[in-house]
Amino acid sequence: MSRAKNPGKPRQPKKLRVGIYGITGCAGCQLSIIFNEDDILDLLDLVDLQAFPFIKEVNADQHFDWVIVEGLVASEQDLATVKKLRRNAKYLVSLGACAATGCVPAYRQFTLKENYEHLLYRKQKRLKDVEPTPIDAHVKVDYYIPGCPPDKKEILGFFTAIARGIEPRGTDNPVCVECRKNGNACLLDQGKPCLGPITAGGCHAVCINGGLECWGCRGPTKDMNLNLMIDILRKKGFDDRFIRDRMRTFAGLKLPTLNRIFHGKG
Amino acid sequence: MPLMETYRQTKADWKRFLEALMKGRELIAPVKRDLVRFERVKDIEDIHLKSMSYFPAKHWFFPEEQTLFRFSKKGFEMPKQKEPRRVFFGLRKCDLNAIKHQDMVFIKQAKDPYYKALRKKSLLLGYHCRTAPSPFCFCESLGLPDFFDLLYYERKDHFVVEVGSAKGKALVKKYGRWFHAEKGLTPEQRRIKNADTLEETDIGRFYDHPGWKEGVNLCLSCGACTALCPTCYCHSIHDEVTVADPGSGERKRQWSSCQLQGFTKVAGGHVFRKDRESRFKHRIYHQLEWFREKNKVPLCTGCGRCIQGCPTRIDWVSMINRMKDDEHRT
Repeated sequence: MSRAKNPGKPRQPKKLRVGIYGITGCAGCQLSIIFNEDDILDLLDLVDLQAFPFIKEVNADQHFDWVIVEGLVASEQDLATVKKLRRNAKYLVSLGACAATGCVPAYRQFTLKENYEHLLYRKQKRLKDVEPTPIDAHVKVDYYIPGCPPDKKEILGFFTAIARGIEPRGTDNPVCVECRKNGNACLLDQGKPCLGPITAGGCHAVCINGGLECWGCRGPTKDMNLNLMIDILRKKGFDDRFIRDRMRTFAGLKLPTLNRIFHGKG
Repeated sequence: MPLMETYRQTKADWKRFLEALMKGRELIAPVKRDLVRFERVKDIEDIHLKSMSYFPAKHWFFPEEQTLFRFSKKGFEMPKQKEPRRVFFGLRKCDLNAIKHQDMVFIKQAKDPYYKALRKKSLLLGYHCRTAPSPFCFCESLGLPDFFDLLYYERKDHFVVEVGSAKGKALVKKYGRWFHAEKGLTPEQRRIKNADTLEETDIGRFYDHPGWKEGVNLCLSCGACTALCPTCYCHSIHDEVTVADPGSGERKRQWSSCQLQGFTKVAGGHVFRKDRESRFKHRIYHQLEWFREKNKVPLCTGCGRCIQGCPTRIDWVSMINRMKDDEHRT
């Protein structure tokens, strides 16, 4: 096969057209991108940032190679946005815990509507709420950058990987792997309800480094031993309600078996 | 076996000796904070010898993460690291033999320049366990040989010191004023009475034994055992590129663990040790069987840190002992 020769003029690969959007969420994950202050200008050089309404005034809404979405689907408008973005992008990336698991806002799925409805939705008629759900409940997600908030270096790693045309290097190892490397004392051993063993790492065990147990913000690992984790916490004296609520805080919708284990809603 | 050269050193002289070694060297020894770790020691009073360290000294030779080389479109260069000279004090028999086993892997087999650079400038001063330093250790079951530059036996008001290498001999010669003649120790005095015993190290025939299930059911696959193991050497390698030029960056290696699914993930995404049981057994079989098939000795040195540090205290030693007992009964 012969290739077109272009002597003296190295072929510049076309930059990837990227869009970064937020739906219902605190925008903290989009901030995590910007927190890469020392690299942000190089990052803008690396990709063709077509849309980033959080910091940019003129934004395209179609013809994306990659679109990155923060937040969960909590309103009809969110749903329309995420479906439109999916249609207009080759690849869709879920950024942060809300997009990946539903995170804290999805907690309202675990309580009765009359417990919260009067607080907001009856006052704000304009808001048309839907069941709070992660993005992948509605559209196909090609890649996840989890975390509440995501690790800013991991975001950079994602961008350099797609620019090189290789698969980004995520991790599905439990938090314990990084925690032990950091030389931390095990918080479970100290009787704290640490969810590190069933939670995906990549966060460098930042909470445990600071003495706070893992709450599971990066979502469960595919390989988790959930029943054993619950057994351990029960043996340490935590009651079922506490264990269920703790596990539901960040990733309840990704732990559907909790319902069965703890006998239903409530 | 020729008798070891043996000396007596007062505790005051021991302190003087370590202080003398600290001139031009870093002293690494166990220090107790929330847990006992091998740390850089400035004050000899900080050295903790009462119990075994929770973390081994492994990372001083085989760091958790390390840069192998930097690369760009122009080529690549090794990091110009100047490793400090180090003296280790308080390594126990398990720790010392673990270093010996990692030497086999990194120096003898892989000829790894990074490990070698850290290792060759190190003095290994061991500390003999009079009684079991941990409720989980079982080194005597593995018949570990002597491996040290100097080995310290603590007595009430002095140390008895054995010389185990040419490096150790040179130290005694140089600092002779702090070493006094002492008669050699008897095999009984040199023994370590462990808390635990592993009754069988040749476990090939137990591979399909239902007894493993007990451990597998208690396993979170968290990788604590391999991180805390002084001998586990498996690692993964990846590139970290710069944002300014994704064609340049660093190639790094970091600890990995056979307990993780991702450890056996190959091109195309296939994971060939997907089930927990095969991963659980892999560690123990590599430690006791497969390393020995290549190197004549088991990899494990019986420190028991993998049991002590396991969130569910999976006692695989007792599991193997029970499999062996079952065999006698039938």
